Amino acid sequence: MILVALLAVAQATAPDPRLERLDPAARPPVVQLVDSARAMGLPTESLVQRALEGAAKGAPAASIVAAVRRLAADLGRARDALGPDAVPAELDAGAAALRAGAPPAALTTLRRVRRGSLIVPLAVLADLVGSGVPADSAAAAVLALAPSIRDVELMEFRRAVERDIALGAPPATAVRVNATARTARPGRP
Amino acid sequence: MPRRRLRTVVCAVVGWLLPAKGGLAQASATVDVALSVVEYDGFQPSAAGAVTPALTWERPRVAIGLRGTYLRFESGNRSIQGLATGSWFTAPGRAWRGEISAQTGASSYATFSGFWHALAEARLHRPRERHGFWIAGAAGRTSFGALSQPAATLTVAGWLRRGALTAVASANRATLGDTAYSDLEATVRTARGALALEAVVGARVWSRGGGRGVYGEGSVTCTLGGHTALVVSGGRYPTDPLRGSIAGRYLSAALRMRARPERRPTNVPRPMPTGVGANGSSASAPRIDVRPSDGGVRLIVDVSGARSVDVAGDFTDWLPVALRPTADRWEGTFSVSSGTHRIAVRVDGGPWIAPAGVRHAPDDYGGAVGILVVPSP
Repeated sequence: MILVALLAVAQATAPDPRLERLDPAARPPVVQLVDSARAMGLPTESLVQRALEGAAKGAPAASIVAAVRRLAADLGRARDALGPDAVPAELDAGAAALRAGAPPAALTTLRRVRRGSLIVPLAVLADLVGSGVPADSAAAAVLALAPSIRDVELMEFRRAVERDIALGAPPATAVRVNATARTARPGRP
Repeated sequence: MPRRRLRTVVCAVVGWLLPAKGGLAQASATVDVALSVVEYDGFQPSAAGAVTPALTWERPRVAIGLRGTYLRFESGNRSIQGLATGSWFTAPGRAWRGEISAQTGASSYATFSGFWHALAEARLHRPRERHGFWIAGAAGRTSFGALSQPAATLTVAGWLRRGALTAVASANRATLGDTAYSDLEATVRTARGALALEAVVGARVWSRGGGRGVYGEGSVTCTLGGHTALVVSGGRYPTDPLRGSIAGRYLSAALRMRARPERRPTNVPRPMPTGVGANGSSASAPRIDVRPSDGGVRLIVDVSGARSVDVAGDFTDWLPVALRPTADRWEGTFSVSSGTHRIAVRVDGGPWIAPAGVRHAPDDYGGAVGILVVPSP
């Protein structure tokens, strides 16, 4: 019985065999980052996948380690915002939304107002914010829809919301030609 | 109004305007300090210094802007201008979207009589994802000294957006008392990294008292840091009877200081640096179509002339999986769990590229990756 328990523990803490594909310079720090994340209760699959992506693209070891470290931090922030009950897929989507610039408060509110999976609303939020839509405007749109709209409908609506918010967004990201545009050049009488 | 009640009203308005914690409003403030050379039509060129503070405040459907300019010419004469604008939008998500806006402004130069204007405009937008148009009508009054006259404008404009490039074409007809003129104008804007470029060309035609001719302006904005930018602009602009400015030429260099850093889009699609198309040229990324399939998704990549097409992503442990050819397309069926997934394609063993047809995001490795979202069943 003790032997079985020890074997189970050994298997649980053994490095992921897929990480053997990493460059020898990247493997030990990545394994350590994965182990640290596991110890903190964070999902590790996306960390392994980020490292494998770097290996597939021929990225240098330092870049792979930095990418995994950054993702681990993002996952931690996502869990702080979404709560301890968030499933790994929600944490992945939440991390992407936070990285894109979504405010953590929006994720917390989304958890409160929407029943069921948050994967698609978080992905839509990340998409809008990453497109340059002001974070508060994007969050307001997603939060307004989240309580009552299905995932498929939300994905169909994303395109319409993105263009409509972009139309009213700051000039840096949208088409906004109004009367002030011509006189907006500094030093021009 | 009693002082206490006035204070209550002011606090209520300010409280609504200022973004509360977790609120939905955004405010931005800039100050431009510029050195210019200005030559009004019929006058000698003159150097000038200008300070322009600007404040914008936005909620999802409301935008308010305030702007002032203090210009001091080398002669010692001063020009002061102010402009306030406000817009209200109807709810998003419909085929048409309405906008009601108003603007008022005033200006004065040296000891000359002041100029003011006030306009109200109704605009109807027809926005699509990458193009659209609007039509607008405005009415109001302008005044130069004691002379006040009605003003009206009618505008039709169309816009097109491709990646970071935006192009706008417009036709505007304005009447002020006995003066009437039409402007045909085209604007192009683009941004790359720290640089933002804008160019305007136009022509004033069918004019009665408003002048005629061709005009054009350009500006380059270079972001120097989170809070500062250098703006170089110049060109020729026409007489603006609505707002009281006469035609002229100018060249200006300004330092722009922002109260908060400007955000730039992070997921503008861009292929990896060595992206190569199937025919060996630097072609755009192949387009991928994602369709549900029993227990997973069917991926269809649209590329002709290829000898092989591979897909890789977190659902393949980033090992390449060859798609099978069918006519001009390449297909494969994958078991993909619900959630967000990262995906890339490569053609003929070339570099991994984020495919068109899905959202892109920076991949942490100097390029981009496609983002595939599979909803929960």
